[in-house]
Amino acid sequence: MGILSRDQALAVARSILERSEADETEVILQSAEERFVRFAGSGPTQNGDRHRHQVSIRARVHCADGIREARATCDGIGDQQTSGALARAFELAQLAPPDSALGKLEGAYAGMRELGSEVLDLATLEHSFEDKAARVRQALALSKEAKLEPAGLMHTGGESLTIVNSAGREVHDGRTRASLSLTASVPGFDGGAGIAEATTERVAQLNPEEVFRRAIEKALMTSNARAIDPGQYTVLLEPIAVSSFLLFASYLGFGAQEVQEESSFLCGRIGQQLFPEALNVHDDANNAVLRNYAFDMEGTRKQRVPLIQNGVLQPPVTDADWARRLGVANTGHALAKPNTDGPKATDLVVAPGKHSAQELLAGIQRGLLITQFHYTNLIDPKDLLLTGMTRNGTFLVEGGEIVGAVKNLRYTESLVNALGNLSGIANEQEVAGALFDGVLITPAMRIENFRFTSSTDF
Amino acid sequence: MNDPMKLAAMAVDHAQSAGAQEADARINRLRLENLSVKNGQLGIAEAPEEFGIGVRVFHKGCSGFAAAPLGLGDGESLAKELAKRALKNAEALSVACAEVRTLAPTASGEHDWQTPVELDAFAIPLADKLDLLNRWEASMKGASETVVRQSNYSARREEQWQATSAGARIHQVLARAGGNISTTAVAKGQTQRRSYPSSFGGQFKAGGFEHLLSMKCDEHGERMRDESVALCHADPCPGGERTLVIGGSQLMLQIHESVGHPNELDRVFGHEVDLAGSSFAKPEMLGGFQYGSEHVNLVADSTIPGGLDTRGFDDEGVASGRWPIVEKGVFQGFHTDRTWAGKVGEAQSRATCRSDGWYHPPIIRITNLSLMPGTWGFDELIADCEDGSIYMDTVKMWSIDQRRLNFQFTCEVAWEIQGGKLGRLLRNPTYQGTTPAFWNSCDAVCKEEHWELWGLTNCGKGNPMQVAEMSHGAAPARFRGVQLIPAE
Repeated sequence: MGILSRDQALAVARSILERSEADETEVILQSAEERFVRFAGSGPTQNGDRHRHQVSIRARVHCADGIREARATCDGIGDQQTSGALARAFELAQLAPPDSALGKLEGAYAGMRELGSEVLDLATLEHSFEDKAARVRQALALSKEAKLEPAGLMHTGGESLTIVNSAGREVHDGRTRASLSLTASVPGFDGGAGIAEATTERVAQLNPEEVFRRAIEKALMTSNARAIDPGQYTVLLEPIAVSSFLLFASYLGFGAQEVQEESSFLCGRIGQQLFPEALNVHDDANNAVLRNYAFDMEGTRKQRVPLIQNGVLQPPVTDADWARRLGVANTGHALAKPNTDGPKATDLVVAPGKHSAQELLAGIQRGLLITQFHYTNLIDPKDLLLTGMTRNGTFLVEGGEIVGAVKNLRYTESLVNALGNLSGIANEQEVAGALFDGVLITPAMRIENFRFTSSTDF
Repeated sequence: MNDPMKLAAMAVDHAQSAGAQEADARINRLRLENLSVKNGQLGIAEAPEEFGIGVRVFHKGCSGFAAAPLGLGDGESLAKELAKRALKNAEALSVACAEVRTLAPTASGEHDWQTPVELDAFAIPLADKLDLLNRWEASMKGASETVVRQSNYSARREEQWQATSAGARIHQVLARAGGNISTTAVAKGQTQRRSYPSSFGGQFKAGGFEHLLSMKCDEHGERMRDESVALCHADPCPGGERTLVIGGSQLMLQIHESVGHPNELDRVFGHEVDLAGSSFAKPEMLGGFQYGSEHVNLVADSTIPGGLDTRGFDDEGVASGRWPIVEKGVFQGFHTDRTWAGKVGEAQSRATCRSDGWYHPPIIRITNLSLMPGTWGFDELIADCEDGSIYMDTVKMWSIDQRRLNFQFTCEVAWEIQGGKLGRLLRNPTYQGTTPAFWNSCDAVCKEEHWELWGLTNCGKGNPMQVAEMSHGAAPARFRGVQLIPAE
């Protein structure tokens, strides 16, 4: 048995509810089926052909002082395993301290049953290793022809998410994903390299040759990289670079809990025009580029939430508990409860601007084109002060043209400062991932006075 | 068939009879328990369980891996089906195999290995664990500036049944437990956190609940609270080249990032370039490259008591061991697996190939890797530092480049050294450097009584990402001429 259908998943989840002794129960059932191959110059290096189910059960016990709750999970859907998880959740819940601020689980709502879909694209779900091998051979051949070392991934599969609770909520959604990436490196892995990647809902939407050629073309531009001094530069950040930077606002910034705990860059800034009017960022799971699940981990419909509107910071996203505590609307951004993280904006979409990336580059007198940042991490949450390295193609731009590759640099810059110095947003969005997980839909961005604090010799 | 070992062996036999050159199968039953008390409430109360089988075959120079959960339906049919799929996938991928791989040998025979446990964490009543966490959390109360008080506990028990076509039948039970306290204060526009004994989930050791009882976090709660508040009012750590003394709970991550990862042979050969990156370390550097000063001795050891990667065998069925990575500053060895060990002239794998449970194929991972103790007392070392030197500890932020050369770390806390003693508190201490220059600047390591084996539970690698656990032993050590940068 691979990925579960809507009927199969609902039947499993309902049977768990029926067996629960808790006052309230919520079941989250995730089901996934995937096939992937990683490759390098020697050919395929790792692969996997696998499926799994993950059941998460939240049990709640009512008492005079509030609600006690806890969660247990298992990765089997048989009665024995789910009963074990149910018993563990119930046992933990009975011992948890009561929380008087918690409200009861929310039940059915209009349109609930029409939300979401089955996993529809069988071609993506069943994409074979024969087809993947053909793509690996193509990547190896093109890289060899260019005298470069390839390393990449082709990954296809489908997932479904089903949430059922004792208050009558029942939601189900499915999705497929196909992703392909190539990093082409100058032999020796001592610096020169280029990357290209693509993530789509259907495997047929991928254009492998275009991805491979883009990575190779970028890598070939990185030869004879020269050293430059760290300092402040105008930068054109390609979408992959924007993602590792802006996703930190998703991890730690746009959620109601971090605002209340005064660890968000939003604190004291909501409603302020901090950034140029051209900047618009929404959390939008139902976006046209890469649709995500239609509901959050409490089964609440995800709203399209403006987070930065015409350069003005907007209130954070919420879940059921935080909406109640703050007296605001539930935007549908819960993680599985209980947790210590609070709601998160996990589907960030940056609106496109008016100019092409090439036009933005043409406006740079002296600056840098950045393909990717590596290992970005957080120094200080209040301004989202971040640091990371450039990677896979960093180029000097003079007089509006790329004049050559430069050796990699470390940046140390705050997101608040950088977005305040935004001087252009490109007109084409891309799906871009980051090392620490998550996906962002964004165009390239041009930023003035971006701070680099040290350099490398590669 | 209910016997997991027989099921694993059946998968291997089936793969071989269908034509596989080699095969192995692992059945894992994982049990976890995670509890956190945050601001008086139970923030995390999770009890996950996983049970499944992963089958790997080698065929025509290529591997194939298939995995599925157990516990529903016919295990025998599933084991055979996975073996068949793994073989079919290896066959399909073999047309893209550009380099014939020869596998290093693995163990044979029956083996049973278990982590020594004094107090089974899962047998301790939940009420007792919550009492402990409540006590730890309450010990940080009392400051109006405090916005978060959190106490954490986690225990893990993984039972493995592994069968290989070399005839090995390996049963292992691996257990670990740990936790910490952490508090965050907000004042004067600053948000500052302090954690004890370490950050990011805390300190873990192989074993059981005895580690939680020995930590006595509640005896350090007040100090953490006061330091987090004081950091909000403290001066920012100055920049410039300075002498730096780094505490063990920070140095362990420095070891992990700038010695452990560049030492993984798959990174060296470019197999991880598409996500995690490559390595500056090359096979030709072995035996000659001055990785660090003469004071730097780094030893990999998957047999050390208490290590999170201490076990009998890795996930390829190779017996654990101990070997030098850096000896008196000279680079000596890599972390390897059966597939690639031969390419650096080694007849055997170093038993450092592991997977994140049954769902993932095994990949090369850092094992327990430690900086061996030196000869200095801690007070003696601080007294020996010139005025303006900095002592810092506890991980706050880390970042390192794709070749593991240029790094930048921020610690939770620092003190300026004046007159041979720790002086004023400094916030956001941040240092930057390049790996060989940094380790070559080490001129003193504290002695064994200051040495601690620190557990790390969040090492991410692979694509799709896998998480692994390991330990790094370290004592405070001194580094000369390190670049500190003002991080504000």
